[in-house]
Amino acid sequence: MSRIVVTGIGIISAIGNNAEENRSALINGISGISNLEFCETKYAGLRPCGEIKKTTQQLKDILNAHEAGVTRSSLLGLHAFMEACADSNLTPKQIAATDTALIGGSTVGGMCVTDELYHDANSDEEGSEYLASYDCASVNLYLQQRYGMAGIINTINTACSSSANAIIYGARLLKNGLAKRVIAGGTDSLAKFTINGFNALHILSPEKCAPFDKDRKGLNLGEGAAFLILEKEEDAIGKKVYAVLSGYGNSNDAYHPSSLSDAGDGPYLSMQSALQTAGLSASDISYINAHGTATENNDAVESTAMLRLFTSPPPFTSTKGNTGHTLGAAGAIESVFSIFNLYYQEIYPALNFNNPIEATGLQPVLKYQSHPIRHVMSNSFGFGGNCSSLLFSKIS
Amino acid sequence: MYIHQHTCISAQQTFGEIELNTVKESVNNKLLAVEPKYEGIPPGILRRMGKAVRLGVGAALPVIKNNNNIDGIIIGTANGGMEDCIKFLNQIIDYEEGMLTPGNFVQSTPNAIAAQAGLMAANKSYNITHVHRGLAFENSLLDAMMLLKENQEAKYLVGGVDEISTYNYNIDYLEGWYKKTATVNTALYTGDSTGSLAGEGAAMFLVSNNSSNAVAYIQAVHSIHTTDTTQLSSALQHFLQKNNIETEDIDILISGENGDNRLLKYYKAIENIVHAPAARYKHMTGEFPTSTAIAVWLACNADKLPAHMFKSGDNEAAPENILIYNNYKGMQHGFILINK
Repeated sequence: MSRIVVTGIGIISAIGNNAEENRSALINGISGISNLEFCETKYAGLRPCGEIKKTTQQLKDILNAHEAGVTRSSLLGLHAFMEACADSNLTPKQIAATDTALIGGSTVGGMCVTDELYHDANSDEEGSEYLASYDCASVNLYLQQRYGMAGIINTINTACSSSANAIIYGARLLKNGLAKRVIAGGTDSLAKFTINGFNALHILSPEKCAPFDKDRKGLNLGEGAAFLILEKEEDAIGKKVYAVLSGYGNSNDAYHPSSLSDAGDGPYLSMQSALQTAGLSASDISYINAHGTATENNDAVESTAMLRLFTSPPPFTSTKGNTGHTLGAAGAIESVFSIFNLYYQEIYPALNFNNPIEATGLQPVLKYQSHPIRHVMSNSFGFGGNCSSLLFSKIS
Repeated sequence: MYIHQHTCISAQQTFGEIELNTVKESVNNKLLAVEPKYEGIPPGILRRMGKAVRLGVGAALPVIKNNNNIDGIIIGTANGGMEDCIKFLNQIIDYEEGMLTPGNFVQSTPNAIAAQAGLMAANKSYNITHVHRGLAFENSLLDAMMLLKENQEAKYLVGGVDEISTYNYNIDYLEGWYKKTATVNTALYTGDSTGSLAGEGAAMFLVSNNSSNAVAYIQAVHSIHTTDTTQLSSALQHFLQKNNIETEDIDILISGENGDNRLLKYYKAIENIVHAPAARYKHMTGEFPTSTAIAVWLACNADKLPAHMFKSGDNEAAPENILIYNNYKGMQHGFILINK
């Protein structure tokens, strides 16, 4: 069967407004975690986040997106969508074609406008401009309308693995002949809603997060968006090809609504099934972009699952130390980072790591290094036990 | 894709003892689900479940119980636990971001339904939640159909769920999607006004490639986004052509007509192409984003469709080809082609 290749990437996160800026920040070990300036919450000085330092109005102006009811999640999505389409040289006609699909993951969707949602959900006065913008689908429906897209449009919400599953779904549409090109990824913006939700679960760190560190204190929320252009290899002849999407796995941990099992069955199974679909064995993997949220639970369990599958795990890091946890966008953002690893044959340093977790002793890569890389695993695990792993491979 | 088991919790008597001839009436412009006793769910867990999770898991349990080792759980829901979501939001605002309990937050994520079903079935396989508003269920069906091409021997649980929450009712009401004056469901199609009645429900299906003893066969699913009736008509014609179905081969059109006079033009465009008896269901279910899950459940019971559903013609003996057409908020259109 023809391979699925990536012919375009677009990304915006706390460490950069495009692919080039993001890569440069990763190389230089730059963290985008800071005190909140724009997202209004009581926790602004108390819970650092990966905030994109542009106001929603600035984003509207940059993108010429002045339609009523457009939310920050949609704007970030549009930003990454435009970069990816341009990178793959998609024409407006191709974007609008019946054989172009758009698959996006999101968990916050339009709920970033928390105060308006509060009003519209509870009041009998006239509604705000956001009445049709609160759900997760609103982002992709906005993109569909803006570009007059006629192909398959879908929105997936599996919490923090949403956009990983969007990419998987996109690849399967191509394999099943239901689309000729797929724009797949995801978006989420910071919101009072999620900041309070994760804070109530006591998993927000008061400091910059330290993935896989023994003394980690929880996660930093982040915001951002990323999209990939996926095509079959035979349809991408003559185009720039970044990587092959060689495998993927989706499994459920079936243990607890908001934490992973000690044995890490879900993470283990999703990584294992990614290897299976790619026809690879554990020893083929050159590097893992771990989910690594820096919560007590995730990093311990993910380490255990890596040790179960790999015995001696390959080099790994979590880029959440750079971007924060971008929730529904994380799978797509980290796919772009994994593609950088392959395309530029390099690994970026983990941030804020001091001492390994005692029980597992795993240590992420601490220094930038040029490194031969053939296959990269990217993990995304979400609430509800929704675990997904993607495998990207070098083109030749 | 063959349907082997089908369950449904709706505003009508569709769960357990099925009785479709008598229509239960709407109250305050809402058609609330007739909830069963949920005997398979431990009381402690049931108490903590939001309504969408309850409806979804309640409808899924009989399917899960009868089938060990399901190869995946695929749920379509536009909003999931919206009630929990806004309860948490209200706490945030009302208590000015004070100390909050996370229960509502965890329940509020739309994937809580598929996750809870996976948890109760101890099912570690494929698990996904499609949330593409009025096409969340259509995308779930498409997912299942692709999976069955990829894994020929597999079987999957696929379903659609949404709840009426006080809050999404308020939001959709402010946006003009519900009737402004008191309307009963039995008179849903007779007025000439905007809006519909609110609905909720869940329908779950066990699907596989196995044809023996199947209830129905889902031949194809298609969805488009447009507000243009000409585009819609040509999409339908293309869809039928691609599936080698002549319009006269269709025995019943199950139509999502919902009493909103602004959407009537789309249903008329479809009826101008498909002249089969048209059966409507939203007076039974009310309007909600994944109502087509219930339309598919009705198609599984096509022999028993009651007279009150028929807008034109009546139920033919042993209908073979059924087309479901639904429109959500003018913009999202879905076609589902079913053979009995």
